[in-house]
Amino acid sequence: METSLTTHKIAFKDNVLSFYNKTFYYLESLSSFAIESLQKYDAIILDARDADFTRIILRKFRSNPDMTFYLKPVFLINAREITDPYIKELNDGTLSSFDQIPEIINDINDISLRTAQLEHSNSASFEVQLFKKVLSYMFTRGTNNLKPYPDINSAIGYSYPVISVNFDSFEESKVLDHLEWAEKENLIWPDFYDRVYLCNNCKCGHLSYREICPNCDSANMRSEDLVHHFPCGYIGALSDFKNNIDTALSCPKCSKNLRHIGVDYDKPSVINHCQNCNEVFQDYLVKAKCVQCGNDSDVQFLISKNIHVYKLTKKGRTAALSGVFNSDFVVSDQVNGAIDPKMFNTMMHYLRERMKSNAAITSNIAVLYFENIFDLYRTIGRAKEQELLSEMVSVIRSNVAPADFISINNPSVITICMNDASTETVQLTILKIKKTIEELVSNNFQKFNLMIQSAVSPLSKELAFEKQLQTIIKELVEKS
Amino acid sequence: MIEFIDNFFNYITEVGPLKLLRIFWFFVFFEFARFFIFELLLVVSWRLRATSRGRREAMARERLFIDRPLVSVLVPGKNEGKHIYKLANSLKEQTYTNFEFIVIDDGSDDDTSRICKSLQKNGMIDLFLRNEVRGGKASAANLGYRFSKGQIIVHLDADCSYDNDAIEKIILPFYLDKNIGAVGGNILVRNYRDSLCATLQAIEYSDTISIGRITSSSLGIYRLVSGAFGAFKREALDRVGGWDIGPGLDGDITVKLRKLGYNIVFAPDAICQTSVPDTFRKLVKQRLRWDKSIIRFRVRKHRDVFYPNATFRFSNFVSSAENITYNLVLNFKWWLYLFDMIINYTSLLGFIFPFNILLYTTNNFLKFLVFSLFRKRKNAPVYYFLPYLPCMVIYFGFYLRLVRTVAYIQELFFKKSYLDSWNPSKSSNQARELGI
Repeated sequence: METSLTTHKIAFKDNVLSFYNKTFYYLESLSSFAIESLQKYDAIILDARDADFTRIILRKFRSNPDMTFYLKPVFLINAREITDPYIKELNDGTLSSFDQIPEIINDINDISLRTAQLEHSNSASFEVQLFKKVLSYMFTRGTNNLKPYPDINSAIGYSYPVISVNFDSFEESKVLDHLEWAEKENLIWPDFYDRVYLCNNCKCGHLSYREICPNCDSANMRSEDLVHHFPCGYIGALSDFKNNIDTALSCPKCSKNLRHIGVDYDKPSVINHCQNCNEVFQDYLVKAKCVQCGNDSDVQFLISKNIHVYKLTKKGRTAALSGVFNSDFVVSDQVNGAIDPKMFNTMMHYLRERMKSNAAITSNIAVLYFENIFDLYRTIGRAKEQELLSEMVSVIRSNVAPADFISINNPSVITICMNDASTETVQLTILKIKKTIEELVSNNFQKFNLMIQSAVSPLSKELAFEKQLQTIIKELVEKS
Repeated sequence: MIEFIDNFFNYITEVGPLKLLRIFWFFVFFEFARFFIFELLLVVSWRLRATSRGRREAMARERLFIDRPLVSVLVPGKNEGKHIYKLANSLKEQTYTNFEFIVIDDGSDDDTSRICKSLQKNGMIDLFLRNEVRGGKASAANLGYRFSKGQIIVHLDADCSYDNDAIEKIILPFYLDKNIGAVGGNILVRNYRDSLCATLQAIEYSDTISIGRITSSSLGIYRLVSGAFGAFKREALDRVGGWDIGPGLDGDITVKLRKLGYNIVFAPDAICQTSVPDTFRKLVKQRLRWDKSIIRFRVRKHRDVFYPNATFRFSNFVSSAENITYNLVLNFKWWLYLFDMIINYTSLLGFIFPFNILLYTTNNFLKFLVFSLFRKRKNAPVYYFLPYLPCMVIYFGFYLRLVRTVAYIQELFFKKSYLDSWNPSKSSNQARELGI
């Protein structure tokens, strides 16, 4: 390989470099940047003289939902000392000049080969999608660790670039939530690294800690040593012992000069004077003011989160390779009016058996697929996500018969079994439900335009229910 | 036995009053005359003045509640955390409410700090101060006093409990007489049922301490504002600079205030209940400390009360002279009496001792029963203590006398109070060097 590479020459034209049947795009300014036009190149060579520019471009690539972009090899050229965690973690290597391009061909091939091994699957769960992306990146780059970096730009003070790149910096606490999810899913294994304290209002870690007066909350205070004069037993603030004549300390009770600490006096404690309300106290309160939202809270009420270095588990490595893993995310149990998917499957099985023996029984399966709902989930958090699902199920429940049953397959797919109604009637009902849910979301989430795909199909007597449902969902996802 | 009793009474009747006085002079002059007849006269006179005192107290109470001065309640101590919650609760019940509750932790090595910080957070303590290094009770009290804001300072012990009008009653005398510098509260024994030792102390407290303080207060020679319950005018404390190092700091500060011309009074209605040592071994330790302080403070540090100088006050002279005479001199005189009897009346010792015991026991019953008529507040019915009264001869006449004698010898000749672990050695060493 080495010998064959040396026989090739590097061609350069209009920022495009060619070498040994590989094409590279040399990206040097934002003005020439249009990510869609870069898909065809095997790798990007990024001019890293400007750290901000480098960071922006790397984020654009690695946060892109399309695998062809987020796995695209990106190399840096003209890079000085790299301190930014995103730049450090999200590039594939550095070049000192284009002459080094032959040296990265193997890396590019490696990444391509590994990328080819990845299975492409459309998963509906946001966490699954996110971790599929993260694990794919880690697999193609041959890394096993998710390492936290101290990061001034991160809302929690740390970032995990590979995963954090998918979130805005103020949303960093969500990264911790998703890492906890992956830990529960046994995809990653935590190894304690540090602990951070976050605002209990907005989960920001940029806090201003202040010692304050327990009476008036003012931070304007003066601290003084307490002095105990042994011979007479007087004890008071150091200033009690000072005089205006000289620098000697003399006891205000017996007028003797203090001579030798530990022999005739000591300093057993300190005392604080509030300059605002004149309160005297020894133990001040410590409060933390959030720089982001301004919330001032007692430190005991801050949210404590552990920062871990995560290692891929065996399940995680398999998942990274195959791209197939199941989420244990079950919400049906927590939402009134919906049943667990397993229970739903069992009931559908019995229904099919009854249909086989009684031709008068009819049933329809309706599936609602919320195409872009993860864009919403990402911003509202897990608790609101649950509330929204509950609201959507109530909307459905108010439009279907009491004997019909509903199941949440995953946070983006809801399945409904509607009995004793024609397919046309069910379709009309589903259209009504879609409209109501769209309005519900738009009214509650700043006019968020929820895109809902739906499908209605009579329950098949021949085909196994699971298979029928999978086909319906697949068609819906592919259609979107 | 019957023959012995016959002989005993025959001797008594035959010997005549002068010879009896010669043999039982100690009892007649010092015990009966001073501690019964004299005190009885004073208590009767105090009772006779009750109506006019009541009128003056009612007016003083009115002025007190119009003024409502801030009172600083100081509780210094080491490892007292376990008592503080109870104390804070009992203070919440007080009829006088304008007070700040200050707890001073003198270098505790248990949970005191944690408990007090929690109580402070919940508003049950107004100010909690802590010396990380133990400095002794005086320095802890001084620390609380330094950062207190009250016009009147009340000093309490953490392990005591107080009647719900105790603070009102102890600060009331400041509105009766402007020259009062300090007021001592009345202390009852709470744990009198715990042991024989505690019961005997309960009798001692109700007789010697309560009645004794009523009489000394009415004579103007009251000499000890107890650390367990005492109130001080801030202006007076400012002038003496707070407490000096102990042991015996409560007696010391009382003398210092007296020397500045302040009147010191006893408030018998300001009731505090305390737990006393429940074994004789623990009691020895406590009394050795108390008794040594008489030598250290009355005889040595404040001997100037006997000097005819510009600050001389007759009442101070009497107060200290009476204290030294009846505790120190008569204690040694008693031993002299014992030797006198052994040497001069060897053959009669078999009569003298039983008769002495009979006299003292009769006196104890008489005193206890008569003085009970003057005690408004009792910790138990009078009959509860009657079976224990015969033990008082042994307790008071021998046990405490022996402890006192040991304490005086230790302090007079060896200055043992400076070695007492009650005070940290860093302070005691300095005090010893300076002779205070």
